[in-house]
Amino acid sequence: MGFRVDIVAPEAVVWSGEAEFVVARTTEGEIGILAGHEPLMAALATGVVVVESGNEKVTIGTHGGFLQVLNNQVTLLTDRAEISEGDRADALRVAEQLRAQEEASEDDSES
Amino acid sequence: MASAELRDTRRRIKSVQSTMKITRAMELIAASRIPRATARVEASKPYSAKLVDVIRNVAVASGGASHMLLEQRPVERAGVLVVASDRGLAGAYASTIIREAERRIVDLEHAGTPTRLLVVGKKAQTYFQYRKYHIERSFLGVTDTPGYGDARAIAATLMGAYATGTVDSVDAFYTRFQSALTQIPVQFQLLPIAPPAAEGEVPTTVDYSYEPSPAQILDRLLPRYVESTVFSMLLEASASEHSARRRAMKAATENAEELIRVLTRIANRARQAEITTEISEIVGGAEALAQQKS
Repeated sequence: MGFRVDIVAPEAVVWSGEAEFVVARTTEGEIGILAGHEPLMAALATGVVVVESGNEKVTIGTHGGFLQVLNNQVTLLTDRAEISEGDRADALRVAEQLRAQEEASEDDSES
Repeated sequence: MASAELRDTRRRIKSVQSTMKITRAMELIAASRIPRATARVEASKPYSAKLVDVIRNVAVASGGASHMLLEQRPVERAGVLVVASDRGLAGAYASTIIREAERRIVDLEHAGTPTRLLVVGKKAQTYFQYRKYHIERSFLGVTDTPGYGDARAIAATLMGAYATGTVDSVDAFYTRFQSALTQIPVQFQLLPIAPPAAEGEVPTTVDYSYEPSPAQILDRLLPRYVESTVFSMLLEASASEHSARRRAMKAATENAEELIRVLTRIANRARQAEITTEISEIVGGAEALAQQKS
């Protein structure tokens, strides 16, 4: 049984669709979500989100934001997110890049 | 030899033509940017909509949790944020929103509430500087294509000022993009955050499990809300600015065309008058010669 997943960043919807399994990294550690998960509100850390739907597997590097599970709907409100073309290691690199970008932009605004 | 009038008119036609080239180019540039700007407005909507959703759920679930950014306190100093433009040549775009903001500032000062002014865009900065308003902070170079980072910097400044008590509220002024033809100047209270209006049914209490605690989650959510609100404000303003500029430049181009038509007519008349004079001089001269011979 699937559930709806929306991964959105401030500037765009990064990924949206039906999925069977989602893995994400919260500030407290890695969690896996299957259909029928209890309502959850969590803060996301820098890391990799994996969405599995059918035979498809999407890996997304994310940085910051929130994860909400409610009524069999998973919403990830990320600060930054980017779909990675490669494997997990690659997605992790993407996530680290996003973090570096953000830190760079924060330095800008302070100067 | 061309008469002075003819020469002057021709020079003016040339000058109007080159101005028209510029206004037409600006019109086309602005027109090409409108779709991109409106697409960005649309693209940012899912995030802010979901964020409001989440905040409402958390607020209900945590039983009306209090937070510094939600807390209404007596307003001793009012903050005013104005989003105008960096460049001119956009008709009344900048002046409309600046006037709205200035009216509010005057009202506040009359009521005895000192104001702190934050401006986005060079036009607003120059306007208020010239009139000797004290500008707390200006943000320049963001209105053309605002990024989320810009929104973040502005939001951080506002929340910082709010946290330290430099301001006790922030009213924001920007131009909402209704359509390519209508843009509406809008005022709303940015800080403290007005409790998200319960649109439709009030969500039933959700028994979330939290990672980390609800207070910490709210602590992260609310600043995001301010950022995303500022961001959508900047995007709307940018789309409005491009539309206003396109309209202003279209009008300017049309006026230039009309002016060229009128000037060409004047030039033609002057040339005709000159030819007529020349002919009558030649005819007169020939006549005189013929009379001498006979």
